[in-house]
Amino acid sequence: MKPLIYLLFAVMLLTACEKKNHDLITPTLEADFPQILLLSDEGDGDLEDEDKFSFKIRLADRVDPEGKELGGKITPLTEDVTVHFEVSSFKGFTSLSAYLLAAKAYYEVDDCSTSEDQNIDLHLVFDPMTGKGSVTFPKGVEEIEVEFETSEDLFDDDIFNANARSLEIRLTSVDAKSQKVVVNDQNTFKYLVLDDEGIYGEYELDVNNQEQFQRYINLFGLVNDDVKNLKPADVEEIKIEFQYGELKAVITLKETEEVEECGEVETVNKEIEIEAEFEELEDDAESGELEFVGEVELDNGLKEEFTYKGSFKLVEGQLELILQGEYKGDETAEITLNLNK
Amino acid sequence: MKLRMLLFGILLLMFGNAAMAQRGIIKGRITDHKSKEPLTGATVVVTGTSNATATDLNGAYQFYVNSGTLNLTVRYLGYQDTTLTVKLNSDELKVLNIAMSGRQRNLNDVIITGYTQGQAKALNQQKNADNIKNIIAADQIGRFPDPNAAEALQRVPGVNIERDQGEGRYVSIRGLAPQFTNMSINGEQIPSPEADVRFVALDAIPSDQLASIEVSKALTPDMDGDAIGGAINLVTRTAQSKNAAISGSFGGGHNNLMGKPNLQGQLQYGQRFGKDEKLGLLLNGNYYHNDLGSDNIERDLDDNELELRDYALTRTRLGLSSSMDYRFNNHHEVYFKGLYSRFTDREQRRRYVFKPEDGEIEKLMKDRFESQSVLSLNAGAKHTFTNLLVDYEMQYSYGEQDTPYDNEAAFIAEIPSVLDFTNSRSPKLTAADYTNNSLYGFDEIGYGNTMAKDKNLTAKFNVGVPYKLGDNDGMIKFGAKVRSKRKSFHIRQNTFENLGGVPNLNAFDGDPVKDQFYFGRYAMGRPLAINKLMTYFNSNPGQFELQVEDKAIDEALEAYTAKEDLVAGYLMAKQQFNKLMVLGGVRYERTKVTYNSSDVVIDESGDLDQIVPVSGSSNYDFILPQLHLKYELTPLSNLRAALTWSYARPNFAEIIPAQEINREDREASAGNPALQPVSAINYDLMYEHYFGSVGIVSAGLFYKRLDDFIYKRILYNSPYPLTGVPTATGIDVTQAQNGNDANVKGLEVAFQRRLTFIPLLKDFSVYLNYTYTHSKAQIQNRNAGSENANATEEIRLPGQSANVGNASLAYEGKRFSLRSSLNFNGSFLSEVGGSKELDIFMKSRLQLDASGSISINSRIKFFAEVMNITNQPLELYQGDQSQTIQREFYSFWSRFGIKFHL
Repeated sequence: MKPLIYLLFAVMLLTACEKKNHDLITPTLEADFPQILLLSDEGDGDLEDEDKFSFKIRLADRVDPEGKELGGKITPLTEDVTVHFEVSSFKGFTSLSAYLLAAKAYYEVDDCSTSEDQNIDLHLVFDPMTGKGSVTFPKGVEEIEVEFETSEDLFDDDIFNANARSLEIRLTSVDAKSQKVVVNDQNTFKYLVLDDEGIYGEYELDVNNQEQFQRYINLFGLVNDDVKNLKPADVEEIKIEFQYGELKAVITLKETEEVEECGEVETVNKEIEIEAEFEELEDDAESGELEFVGEVELDNGLKEEFTYKGSFKLVEGQLELILQGEYKGDETAEITLNLNK
Repeated sequence: MKLRMLLFGILLLMFGNAAMAQRGIIKGRITDHKSKEPLTGATVVVTGTSNATATDLNGAYQFYVNSGTLNLTVRYLGYQDTTLTVKLNSDELKVLNIAMSGRQRNLNDVIITGYTQGQAKALNQQKNADNIKNIIAADQIGRFPDPNAAEALQRVPGVNIERDQGEGRYVSIRGLAPQFTNMSINGEQIPSPEADVRFVALDAIPSDQLASIEVSKALTPDMDGDAIGGAINLVTRTAQSKNAAISGSFGGGHNNLMGKPNLQGQLQYGQRFGKDEKLGLLLNGNYYHNDLGSDNIERDLDDNELELRDYALTRTRLGLSSSMDYRFNNHHEVYFKGLYSRFTDREQRRRYVFKPEDGEIEKLMKDRFESQSVLSLNAGAKHTFTNLLVDYEMQYSYGEQDTPYDNEAAFIAEIPSVLDFTNSRSPKLTAADYTNNSLYGFDEIGYGNTMAKDKNLTAKFNVGVPYKLGDNDGMIKFGAKVRSKRKSFHIRQNTFENLGGVPNLNAFDGDPVKDQFYFGRYAMGRPLAINKLMTYFNSNPGQFELQVEDKAIDEALEAYTAKEDLVAGYLMAKQQFNKLMVLGGVRYERTKVTYNSSDVVIDESGDLDQIVPVSGSSNYDFILPQLHLKYELTPLSNLRAALTWSYARPNFAEIIPAQEINREDREASAGNPALQPVSAINYDLMYEHYFGSVGIVSAGLFYKRLDDFIYKRILYNSPYPLTGVPTATGIDVTQAQNGNDANVKGLEVAFQRRLTFIPLLKDFSVYLNYTYTHSKAQIQNRNAGSENANATEEIRLPGQSANVGNASLAYEGKRFSLRSSLNFNGSFLSEVGGSKELDIFMKSRLQLDASGSISINSRIKFFAEVMNITNQPLELYQGDQSQTIQREFYSFWSRFGIKFHL
């Protein structure tokens, strides 16, 4: 028996010399890797007279256990957990309670209804004095939304505010019973109050102004063939919206269509929408540079990028945009649009 | 068909019986009179006839002779010829053990010990072999500072080795890449522990485990036919004597680059038991621990990038082998042989990647553990009947490469850098503050683990029927083999990126592993300590995002399972015509293969679209005639010629039907399960003269014509997939295909002997060999496009060095020996690029090693070895020699200790 013990000891000694486990940390992987709750977005913003805003909490994608979704999918929790969050770092005001008046939480049950419609309580608790709150993230759900009612008067004025008015929201912890669930407590959701005396807001182009109409067609017809072929008689209105992080150019046509939504059929005007994200926007001034980038989906499924660069200038509610577009190697001339707020 | 085979067998046995009517058998062992060591390769001849045989590794011999009174002569290089008279009755089996005396007196007191004794064993076997082969005996291996089987093989003429971290790993024979060589242990092929290939990394096999290594350069019909370059057989040890033989060695050493010690030990016990020494048992165990490293710079010519790589490794080799045999009587014996080897490699790589075009510098650390295990179990029996010899064997062998972790983390800093490759062997680097870890943000951490398995189950038998043709002896031999192979590869890969909040690198840095890197020319700063990052990962998983799609692609693309079943049979005859030996025969091999893997489809947007299971199969047959002639010009000189047919199976990576398509780039790659093996006709001519004082001068020519040479072909504008219903068109599909020819020709010369003919240098010996090889292969022209896809161009065969050689000078005194050894590998094409300018070549390399020993007495001696004395780097260049793309230094390392034989 003794020789066997010696042999075993010798083998163990030699195995130790391999340094297989020397200074080694075993990572938490595969099924042991926890579910992660995180903020869905990095931020949002809306005009200063808006009466609400919201942030979303979702689960991170995981490997589809059935192997169908190769890019991964959310695997809902098997029991309810409580997520704690905190509103902090507010700028432009001194008291949270003066701006955040109330809060509620819900999730989408389907495209036409929410948990609120079905009287499902997510036990949202929020103390505007401390900025701390908590909410239930229920089992079987992929994402929930926490919505704050805000004071529409606090920031609504007629002057241009160059100073930021914002707040930040961060997840702080999660109470889970037996599930492996953690929160990402480093990411923040930043909400910005956008000044409607600045670049942000909705602008309209005078469709009856032949020259302006043609300039618009020349500018955005570059990336959209439907726009290129439009006549003034086809168009009801043209608007350009400067929103948080993105620009929307919307053409409402005179032609209508019937749209069914949640069982209700409605007759609406057709719209052509071009969306792009800002690469650059000097939003703390009444004039400056801007650049936005978007994508067009081609027939073969590939996506092609377009870019518009130029400058803006605000004069008494009127916006002058000077832009040059580039798409697939083609460029427009520098085109000036004049729009009314 | 079966009836014809049966009739043929009956005729053969009748013929054999008739021929054997007045005959008997003589068998026994030839040993050294003084040391009792077996004399391997000794010739035993019936005086005045061509009836002769040679002793095997254990000094054993047997042969059929005419009954009556016979004179037997025993010859062995370095020994006096011994002649004795024997009286043998018809059908009698006589055991004749002979102890031979050395020829010291004739050699002016030269002592035939140590290296010369090992060399004698090898050369005697080589001289008496039926085919062209080189043999290295254990004693000879022990005289060179070669810790593993690959490095021991580098001393053989025509053998080139590829190194990894300065240590020999893969073996090429006669200018053909490693996949053209088959590897066996105790005569049966061993599986490769690696996933993609068939060949075995021989650094996993400690040389201390081996009794000898045989390199056959021309195949006989009783050998596996899948070896174009040659066949390497590693032979383990067996028990020799009733006295317990215990031998071993213990030692340590030092790696100069890392400033760390190494450790080695070996212990062997062998003994035969019982009154008639019927039971033999041998156990061998050895262990080698080596802490090593390298300083390496690598350049990416296309992307204008430079990498600084700082390696630190711990490698161990554990070898266990056993042999047990039982001789029931002089006619029948059974044996069992087992070998287990385990090679482990813990590699930590710290590196920078300078990317001036992107304005970025990456800083990374990799931590990987890999173990390669090979297990080989052989059980068989040998029977000597009055009219035939029968042996049969079962073998189970298993190779495994287990990588339980392969972790690498990367951080990126947006730091501009300027690279100056005016002197590409020592590029200049300018990058402000690049060692400042606070500037590096987290990019990703990848956790991988893989398992490759390869299992062989083999059964075979051989039957030998001796006969006489006039006064000349001959032997008809036939046999069959079945082998079932199962190979698989599985991978797990989890790569995480920053979900938000992971701190910069300065939170995870550690101490440098050595004082300076690359002679102090480049600063490495404080390296990333991946274990600190992993601790952080485990504590803060919410900040890390799994790359689910990448995981699906990585795990599907490389994984596969394969089955390969072989059936083989052969018939051969060996006939002595006075001084001419003719050996001829034919071998038939049929292989059936099936594979399963995955088709990974990437859509037009560059996203993973789908993963579809795919499978493939193929069968192939080979009929391989083999002819060998050996003419004994004098008792010490042979002229040999051989005409042989052989083939080489494709690597698994080329045939598994894994497919990947990237619709975004309109490119795809696909395995080719219909790929046929490369076939070859081999012509060999060899002259060899042996010196009675132990030595050889030899010269040989060889020419190999390869058909169905495998090369990577681009199928321009193809439908995809290549079989079945196309789902895409206009795709450039890269696939390994047959079709082009290649040839390789060369010259081998060797000279070994003790300089006894120069009185002042009588204690010196030289060992010289040189091989010149030339090859050419036709491949698809790399400038071809869809309009001229069939255009071809000529290249050298990858892995083929024009010049390979060894030179060694040794002093062997009564107690003291000293040896210096040079090994030269000429430059060779390492990787075929997309154009001639992108071909990657390994630069020629000359390594100088030295070893010495002092004997305290006949049983104990001290030894010392120094390797890579001149700090030769590994160097790669792209296109031409002025474009160095890799230069890796290891410095020198040493070993010293004690060897004993109790």
